[in-house]
Amino acid sequence: MKILIRRFDEKSYWQSFEVPVKRGMTVLDALFYIRENIDPTFAFRASCRMGICGSCAVKINGKPRLACETQISKFKEIKVEPLDNFRVIRDLVTEFEGFFVKHKKVKPYLIAEADYENPVEQLQTPQELKRYYIFSLCIKCGACVSVCPASATLEGYLGPAALVAAYRFNADSRDKGKEERLKIASESIGVWRCHSAMECSEVCPKQIEPAKAVQLLRRASLR
Amino acid sequence: MGVLSWFKYRSPFGMAFMFQRITGLILLFYLCLHLAYLTSLQSRDLYESLTALTVSKQFFIFDSLLILCGVFHGLNGLRIVVHELGFAHEKRKAVLVISVALTILGWILGSYILYTALGD
Repeated sequence: MKILIRRFDEKSYWQSFEVPVKRGMTVLDALFYIRENIDPTFAFRASCRMGICGSCAVKINGKPRLACETQISKFKEIKVEPLDNFRVIRDLVTEFEGFFVKHKKVKPYLIAEADYENPVEQLQTPQELKRYYIFSLCIKCGACVSVCPASATLEGYLGPAALVAAYRFNADSRDKGKEERLKIASESIGVWRCHSAMECSEVCPKQIEPAKAVQLLRRASLR
Repeated sequence: MGVLSWFKYRSPFGMAFMFQRITGLILLFYLCLHLAYLTSLQSRDLYESLTALTVSKQFFIFDSLLILCGVFHGLNGLRIVVHELGFAHEKRKAVLVISVALTILGWILGSYILYTALGD
């Protein structure tokens, strides 16, 4: 199968590779084949190979997907590009530092009054868990940010991934940092920048509905 | 990528987002043109002669497209309001289909009413 890859080394260019296809082969397998057998200088990011780490998110035939979860047999021809809205470092490797800076900004951790000398189990009912569980599945692959028109037009915008993290902890019954997080999320670079294009929910490989999290945060910030 | 990012999406939601912006710009442009045109008509005779020209079956296609822009922009805006209030995110495909169906219905109905009102 012909695989067309948009490479980047000081300037961007397309390069075509011929890859032998096996049953069950993923796009990530094809990328590894290219690096191991055709061009050892070809750069891409990957780690777990099973849709958990989010490292291998790339644009495949125009849509952001996890390369490790995309079967090659789904397509007749494959075009692989780096994610949009991220600075390309080399080939398919993009700069994620800014993404994680924004992620940290929303305090994506449980803020609770814990006595570590005398620890007490923090109980939660299944209903309370259900309120945020789906949003806790985010793997920070950046697919949502790469299709977000607000992220494309304003670099400082927190973006759907960071706002999902903010909502995930705000919806947690054990958390005591709701006000702090809402203050950050409702700044000018926060929830009000979302244009409700819904593209983030469409491309999320974990189907976690980032657009819904942003709107629920908006609603909470108005209270 | 900036404003060009409006035009890169291929999903139905991305298309709706793109058309919302395009129709918004068309409506804004039309409003400015409409106000400038009416303001420029200083005499009753000139007003009547020029409106007789523009409010006619020759211009119907433009009026019809304007109705399409207005109905789409309004109904798609309502769809976005529903989602922005935090409702029906899981049913967003059905909501989009309903809004597009209502747009087509409103466009046909509006165009029919306008066409019959224009007379001969």
